[in-house]
Amino acid sequence: MSLRRIAAVARRIALGFRRDHRSLGLLFVAPLVVMSLVGAVWGATTQTVPEVTIATDRLGLPAPIAGRVVEGFVRSSAVRATAATYEEGMRGLRDGTTDGVVWLEGATVHVQIEGSDPLRSGSIGGAVTKALGEALATAGITGGAVPAVKIDQLYGGPDYTLLDYLAPVLVAFFAFFFIFLLSAVSFLRERTSGTLERLMATPLRRSELVLGYLAGFSVFALLQAVVIITFTFFVLKVQYRGSLATIFLVEAVMVVGAVSLGLLVSAAARNELQAVQFVPVVLLPQVFLSGLLVPVEQLPDYLRPVSLFLPLTYANEALKEVMIKGAGLGDALVIRDLGVLVLFGLVMAGGAVLSIRREVA
Amino acid sequence: MAEAAIQATGVHKRFGATAALAGLDLEVRTGEIYGLLGPNGSGKTTLIRCLAGLLRADSGSLLVFGRGPRETVAAGRVGYMTQAAALYGDLSVAENLAFFARLQGVADADARIDEALATVDLLDRKRSTVSALSGGMRTRVSLAAALLHRPDLLLLDEPTVGVDPVQRQEFWAHFRALASRGVTILVSSHVMDEAGRCDRLGLIRAGRLLASGTAAELTRRAGAADLEAAFLALAGAGA
Repeated sequence: MSLRRIAAVARRIALGFRRDHRSLGLLFVAPLVVMSLVGAVWGATTQTVPEVTIATDRLGLPAPIAGRVVEGFVRSSAVRATAATYEEGMRGLRDGTTDGVVWLEGATVHVQIEGSDPLRSGSIGGAVTKALGEALATAGITGGAVPAVKIDQLYGGPDYTLLDYLAPVLVAFFAFFFIFLLSAVSFLRERTSGTLERLMATPLRRSELVLGYLAGFSVFALLQAVVIITFTFFVLKVQYRGSLATIFLVEAVMVVGAVSLGLLVSAAARNELQAVQFVPVVLLPQVFLSGLLVPVEQLPDYLRPVSLFLPLTYANEALKEVMIKGAGLGDALVIRDLGVLVLFGLVMAGGAVLSIRREVA
Repeated sequence: MAEAAIQATGVHKRFGATAALAGLDLEVRTGEIYGLLGPNGSGKTTLIRCLAGLLRADSGSLLVFGRGPRETVAAGRVGYMTQAAALYGDLSVAENLAFFARLQGVADADARIDEALATVDLLDRKRSTVSALSGGMRTRVSLAAALLHRPDLLLLDEPTVGVDPVQRQEFWAHFRALASRGVTILVSSHVMDEAGRCDRLGLIRAGRLLASGTAAELTRRAGAADLEAAFLALAGAGA
């Protein structure tokens, strides 16, 4: 194993990038254009009918009136209400089975929401106020002042937009997508142009070639991660709670894995067009099943196991934990996700080394 | 008799149902230019790729300077010029050569790059981007890349394909100059006037060596008027 030869391969790639403006554009500009579009489309919240739990043990009302209030909530079309205890409601909130827990304290209606999914929690306040009016009417309480509604969030807040919540998964996806595509096509060019054959007829080892490629591409992948993160937080002003360093670390580990996957996939392609055809194969399952569009826990039972094998599932989870919930390297979930991503990168890199062996000698 | 640069004995190599090499025997002496002649698909490229350490023979013995091909390649004693130019079009000539020099562990790379470029008459195109060069120039850069580490054995797989007659003349002058310095050259071709420039020739067909000797010997043996007729006669007899 020679560092000099590895560095030579890495340097060769950097020199090639310098004159490959299209690839540089793909790497740095395209993600920003797409993120801007997504920011424009998804930057505002949307309306849905929330599921709320009425904490019957915290209504502070005489039983007959409380019963009618609960019945009023259940009959309201503004929310899908169920009656339970406060503790059961809070448990449901953490499990993701309910969007809000409603209880009364004096003249104030409290709504506790989890807050990490704005699609479900964004309109709860209005919906509960509307349902409350109907519930009070059902209970026969009319004439008095309508109680104030106070919303408490576990995560996020009223000033969070949809983009704030989606940024973690988008940051992961775009970084993964662009560097995967670029490394797959570039390594393929090495095979199709005959230079791979020439390289293999030098003292260069296969593992040195793959490591050199990983090093060369990872430099650009990491720069891309910096550009995406900077743009997301400082231009799009996406809110985040965890440390930028941890966010970058997750991104870094993920994109190195994406480079390895690209190198491996290029072994199965005969030309650039074929490599591009791998994009839907490799990326579409990750779009739908990694928590990008739908939270993994809301996937159908038969699809959820697939998500366990997708690197973006772990990147998404870790980035959500860090960015929205403020988790750090001390949290077991983040460490586990990082570990899985490292393992993924190692397995893919090993596969890439073996794929060269199979083709050349 | 000089030490054998290449010694192949009963070499077999199959690709699925196709036998690319079917018991090939071949000896190339140190310092000679040996021409591999044969129709397309006769096994020339497969043999060269085996010698370059890119393919492993299924059976038989293949030695380059007395050692296994991959070992000799790893020792930096083999230069390989592929059929296609096999260069990085997005890098300059000097950058391409510097890359291959690093892989070969060449110490005084700058001087060697100049030396190799002088050999192929391209010193003035050192800073040019490879994609901007003509096909013939790219072929010359490719040869320069194979010469950087001063190999003892040069493997040239149809090196003059797409090269005009004038440049072909110059190429052969380079090959002859290298051979005079003791470099062994194995060159595959199906151009007969090139074959005549080799010290010795081997006629390959269907993965077997049909005949080996100087151009004059082969012509005489076949009772033919020229090398082309001899090749056709010998190839026909071996079919």
